[in-house]
This record gives sequence, structure tokens and C-alpha cells, in this order.
Amino acid sequence: MAQTNPPFLTGVPELLVLRMLSGREMYGYEIVKAMRLVTGEAIGFGEGVVYPVLHALEEGGALKARRKSVNGRERVYYAVTTKGKRRLEHLSDEWRRVSSGVNSALNGNGAGGDPEHA
Amino acid sequence: MREAQFESLRLELLRSGVTPVYVERTILELTEHYCDLESAALAAGLGADEAARIAHDTLGNERAIAAAILTHPELLTFRTRHPRVAQCLQSAVTIGTLPGLPLLFCIEHRPELARWGAAVGLAATLMGSVLAALNWLIVMPF
Repeated sequence: MAQTNPPFLTGVPELLVLRMLSGREMYGYEIVKAMRLVTGEAIGFGEGVVYPVLHALEEGGALKARRKSVNGRERVYYAVTTKGKRRLEHLSDEWRRVSSGVNSALNGNGAGGDPEHA
Repeated sequence: MREAQFESLRLELLRSGVTPVYVERTILELTEHYCDLESAALAAGLGADEAARIAHDTLGNERAIAAAILTHPELLTFRTRHPRVAQCLQSAVTIGTLPGLPLLFCIEHRPELARWGAAVGLAATLMGSVLAALNWLIVMPF
């Protein structure tokens, strides 16, 4: 492989958050619920860790946040910016490329053959 | 107040150099998230204690949340990210400000300085007059 892949290793939470927000704006609790739903709860995590991801994406200009009072509750809604859409496309491409490579390896197409018989 | 339960997290984040805006936002969002989780558990028919426990467990422990925040350097203050640069800038600003301080002092204390100037001028005039008179008397030929 010609290039290293840090986004693959560290970009999965970003990718999921951007994907959830690509349809409509949401607040943290909604984002986590949507993530659990679409991933079939395959990814387990303490829900509080979604906020640093959201804040980092906002700081990087991929998301914009606005406060909204709903039924006496203070919500912070996040929406994807144009920069965020580009980031989502990039991360999605990276993920497809890398997962395709991993699948290929798992299906036995590796150049080294079966390691047990090497 | 729910936010009180995240007070130790707030202090830890501030001590670690996380930007105060993000600290306050994180506490607000965690508090709201906790309330949502608790409400959902209560709506599912659980008791208050069990609902609180589930909300706490689902949200994750504060140490893990703090660790996750600290992995994002962009959420830290400039001083925390670049301590040497911040120190140099602070020194430069201090050195640049020092010569301007007397001027600022003068602008802020104009009335006092005017009174003080008038008093000194009057005293100098009076003293000069007395000395001139004495000088005139001393050198006066009899």
C-alpha cells in the first residue's frame, strides 16, 4: 500500500457523525440514537464521547452548531457545512477503499497465501 | 441542579487547558443527554434509581469522556497547545505596554494632575517671590 491510513484508524466516529448529520440537523442524543439504529448497535461506546467528536468537527469547520430552546430544554443542534460534506465524501471513499482491502485479505486473496501453511 | 454532577469533570477539563467555551458546552450537553437517557429509562417503566444508574452507565464515566476530549488538541487553549509561543507573546505584549502605562495613567487622572500642577506652580511662584524679595532686601544698599 502506497499510503498510510490515519483516517481509517481514527476517522470512524467522524465518519458516522457526519453521515448521521448529512440528512438533517440533530443534537447529541439524537445523533447517538440514530447511530445505534443504523449500525444495529454493532459499535459500542460511552455516549458521552460523541461530544468531543462534534466539537472537534465544529472547530475544524465541518459542522456548525446553534443553540435552541425546546420545551424548556437547551439543545445544541449540529448541521453539516459544505466543508463537512467534502470531508464526509473523503472519509467514505477512504473507508470503502480500506474495507475493500481488508475484505479482500479476509477472503483469502492475500499475496502471502494461508499463513498457517507458510 | 443536574450540572452539579459534572462539576469534577468541568474542573478537570479546565485544569487540563480545554477552552472554557467547550467546557461549558460539554457540561450542558452531557447534562441534557443524561436527562434524556434517564427519561427514556423511566418511560420504559424502570424505577428512579435504576434509571439513574442506566443513564450514568450509558453516558460513560467521566474519566473516559475527559480522555476523549483531551485527544483533540484543537479543543485546547492556545496557551496549552503552544506554551512557549504564548509565553513569548505575553512577554512582548508586556514590554510593549509598559512605556504606554504612564501615558494611560495621565489620561485617566487628568483632574488630579491638573490640581497637582496648579498647586506646584502656585508654590513655586510664592517661593520664588519670597526668595526674590529676600534677595532684593539683602542686596539693597543702605
